[in-house]
Amino acid sequence: MYQIVRAPLLGAVLSMCWSGTLFAQEPLDVAIVAPNAIGDVGWDHEVVRGKEVLEERFADKINVTVVDSVGEGPNAARAMNRLVANGTDVLILGSFGHMSDGMALAKKSPDLKVLHIGGYQNLPNFATFTVRHYQASYLCGMAAGYATKNQQLGVVAAFPLPEVLGILNAYVLGARSVNPDLKPVKVVWLNSWYDPPRDRSSAESLISQGADVVYSLFPGTPSALATAEEKGVYAVTTLSDNSAHAPNKHLCAGQANFGVVYANVVQSVIDGTFEGKDTFAGVAEGAIEVAGLSKDLTDEQRAAILAKQDAMRDGSFDPFTGPVMNNAGSEAIASGKTLNTSEIKSMDFLVQGIDSRLQN
Amino acid sequence: MTDTIIFVLAGAFATATPLLLAAIGEAVAEKAGVMNLSVEGMMAFAAAVAFAVTYQTGNIVLGFGLAVGASVALSLVFSILVLGFSANQIVSGLAVGILGLGLSSLAGRSFENLTMMAPANLSLPVLSDLPLVGPILFRQSAITYFAFAVAFLTWWFLAKTRHGRITKVVGEDPAIAHNLGFAVIRIRLFAIIFGAVMSGLGGAYASTILTPGWSDGLIAGRGWIAVALVVFGTWRPLRIAFGAYLFGALLLGDLAVQAMGFSVPPQIMTSLPYVMTIIVLAAVSRNALLIRLNAPVSLGQNFQPSK
Amino acid sequence: MMGRYALVQRSEVSLKSIMLVPLVTFVLALLGSMVLFGFLGAPPLEVLYRLLIDPLASAYNISEVVIKAAPLILIAQGLAIGFRAKVWNIGAEGQLIIGAVAASVIPITFPESQNVLMLPAMMLAGMIAGAAWAGIAAALKTRFNASEIIVTLMLNQIAVQILYFLINGPLKDPMGFSYPQSVSFPPVAMYPLLSDDGMLRANASILVVILLSIAALIYVTRTFSGYTLLVGGLAPSAASYAGFSAKKAVWITLLIGGAAAGLAGVGEISGPIGRLQPSLSPGYGFAAIIVAYLGGLHPVGILLAGTFMAIVYVGADGAIIDVGLPPAAPVIFQGMVLVFYLASFALVQYRIVRVQPEARA
Repeated sequence: MYQIVRAPLLGAVLSMCWSGTLFAQEPLDVAIVAPNAIGDVGWDHEVVRGKEVLEERFADKINVTVVDSVGEGPNAARAMNRLVANGTDVLILGSFGHMSDGMALAKKSPDLKVLHIGGYQNLPNFATFTVRHYQASYLCGMAAGYATKNQQLGVVAAFPLPEVLGILNAYVLGARSVNPDLKPVKVVWLNSWYDPPRDRSSAESLISQGADVVYSLFPGTPSALATAEEKGVYAVTTLSDNSAHAPNKHLCAGQANFGVVYANVVQSVIDGTFEGKDTFAGVAEGAIEVAGLSKDLTDEQRAAILAKQDAMRDGSFDPFTGPVMNNAGSEAIASGKTLNTSEIKSMDFLVQGIDSRLQN
Repeated sequence: MTDTIIFVLAGAFATATPLLLAAIGEAVAEKAGVMNLSVEGMMAFAAAVAFAVTYQTGNIVLGFGLAVGASVALSLVFSILVLGFSANQIVSGLAVGILGLGLSSLAGRSFENLTMMAPANLSLPVLSDLPLVGPILFRQSAITYFAFAVAFLTWWFLAKTRHGRITKVVGEDPAIAHNLGFAVIRIRLFAIIFGAVMSGLGGAYASTILTPGWSDGLIAGRGWIAVALVVFGTWRPLRIAFGAYLFGALLLGDLAVQAMGFSVPPQIMTSLPYVMTIIVLAAVSRNALLIRLNAPVSLGQNFQPSK
Repeated sequence: MMGRYALVQRSEVSLKSIMLVPLVTFVLALLGSMVLFGFLGAPPLEVLYRLLIDPLASAYNISEVVIKAAPLILIAQGLAIGFRAKVWNIGAEGQLIIGAVAASVIPITFPESQNVLMLPAMMLAGMIAGAAWAGIAAALKTRFNASEIIVTLMLNQIAVQILYFLINGPLKDPMGFSYPQSVSFPPVAMYPLLSDDGMLRANASILVVILLSIAALIYVTRTFSGYTLLVGGLAPSAASYAGFSAKKAVWITLLIGGAAAGLAGVGEISGPIGRLQPSLSPGYGFAAIIVAYLGGLHPVGILLAGTFMAIVYVGADGAIIDVGLPPAAPVIFQGMVLVFYLASFALVQYRIVRVQPEARA
């Protein structure tokens, strides 16, 4: 199951003379760099799955190369440089940790275009994008609010980063919008992007505290979902439809679609209109949607969720619209106000109804 | 609150199981005078093989069997180096460990991020329904009971049997053991292989029952914790079993602390087993008599019968 | 079966056969990896070309080899001094991390500084911190007789946790959206680059490494009169180590090893990385043990072995992208090199003799 595409022999020749010459008639070379080994769900899977969208849309106008297991660290730059030496025109970086090496490379290679997922710094030839995971999270929160019997939701979350807080807050807002009787939502912070045995223990811990819907928020692995399935409680997750890992208890997933953004960027490179800007893509752009809704939800519940998704698409609804209280009891979003992009991206509070405190 | 306490006390058995298995194996090897630092690599390779085989065939027994085979194969490379060629034990262990880690990512590459259902835990009739102790003690995996049984049997073997005493003599002074007519090299080989079987079982348990699933780096330092445990338990199986349970509880401790609404930096919890090991090591090493009562004297030293 | 043959240490090992060991190791490891990766679908000759020739085929690749070789050689030089005295410092990885963390405090505190003394100050801080971290093992060894093997191993794990704690807390970039990484270092915190070509990352740290290798050579040849490459010439125990007491030997070797590893940590954050982040070293501390052995624990040998390992690493990184070698390849190769080295080393050092059954006591 090799995910690595063999570069043409030309690549080897090019690497020797070290030139990024772009032949106009040549197909555009796009390279995708994923930080870990690639599975059938999750972050690296989604980073790499964008390749299919690109190939479908651009066919023989592009060559897409995928390299996996390039984590942050002193070796990442070497892999990126090698790809550029092999003639890569558009470099898609799939890890936050690729930021400084990617920036350095972009500065040195003005002809190169870089698209960095999850970063926050730009250059004229260095674009960034983030997906509005919180939108699908709100919708899955609604599903959780409908499905819970114990009125107890549990969340296994990676790090208390602003993006994660936003996703968590939207989830709880969604759940409370359909179910005002919810008990405060319990959260376990993994403080790790990757620790399968702890994913599982955390899910077990939440279940032991009565949670009957477990939300695996940016899991490194599907372990928490498999645990929920095993223990007979509902599972919700981000990034990928994980129905295969919880065939009976998969309640809802936010299915990301990075390929839509890749395609827009590649198109802009072809058109010569590439800009080193930040994109915050959501339901409206097709970059995120709910998937894998459980058959246990009633038709009305499902319809309500999809209606909210439509409202997000046409802009008539935004989860972060005031009044919203934080869980310390003060006002976090004023009545009538809607958070803008930078406010969402620097979120530093937890909404009312979350039984957790932030460090610092 | 009681839910959380039960969760940690019960969960610690599951978390402790791979640590205990690997540590008991390493303890026996060290008792025979061989320090095998490839535990992490053996566990990782075994974990990858166990998951791959069980996922493909649905046969967990076959998965465990081949995992043990993989681990033993690595230990034979180690044995050839240290027993056959008298190579340095530390460096040989690290080398074989690195090899094992590499082979684990290779073997697991097609199974990245896959999961499967864990086999149901044993639920002992009547006992498992007892309040409190029921869920803590009597609803565990068969492998967990096995691990603690092995710890007990190993104690019995080392303390009460002739072969156990011979093993210890080989670890104390191989020259004397040789002069007494014992096959030092063969005994050390058996001890290393026993260690590999235990590491293999520990790795297989981690990927097929504890998690269950595979992703690269799954073992994540558990092999090193096992090495630490041997020292923490001062080479005594029953203390090692206690230490494994304690370390298992510590690995879950930060979840429990969070559930109680406190926040402790998780790094402190993660460091504790290592810090405690250093303290115990310093305490038992501080005088010649104590260390003689605990650590195998010739640990790490090779022996060639004809020298 | 066992015991019918035995290894007998040769009374004399010729220099030629000692030199043969690394060569045989390389050939065996290359053959081994060609077979293994050929089996996985990468053409063997292509792999050979990628691993050995390609890394030297362009200025860029050579510069990458230099970047990779510098920490390996530096740490290995420090460790070898200890290994020769039978002091087993397995904790270079942790000493590297602590050195980097301590040094990073300076640029993180003064991110706008233009003081050219910053890099020297960081180098000093890194060495002191690395040595202090290793010093814990030395103190426990000399005071409590605690095995330095176990202590340095444990300190590796603790060092990683200290890094994670600080990079998620006080050393985190306050403007970095809570992501676990520090601010970028100012230019005065960075080693100067060796070339003006913007693509080449090789920096002056390699010069420091070469200077220290020469220092190690002088140290070794002057303190071991009659030191030879032969293992028979190695100090039989720490006690006889260059006339020092055993305690002194433990302290000196651990402090030197820790300082070298700490300095290597500074080389990473002030070189290719340019900030403090959770992942600083792809296992340099462990790989350096291999390099130290491969180099016969001799400064010149280490220089050669470190360069060779760096070539193969850079080659493997390229081969992962160009010919689809699995990412585990360099790790497996690393393990194979060491296994083959240990085996061929033993074969030179010992000869196999047949032992008559009645010869056994």
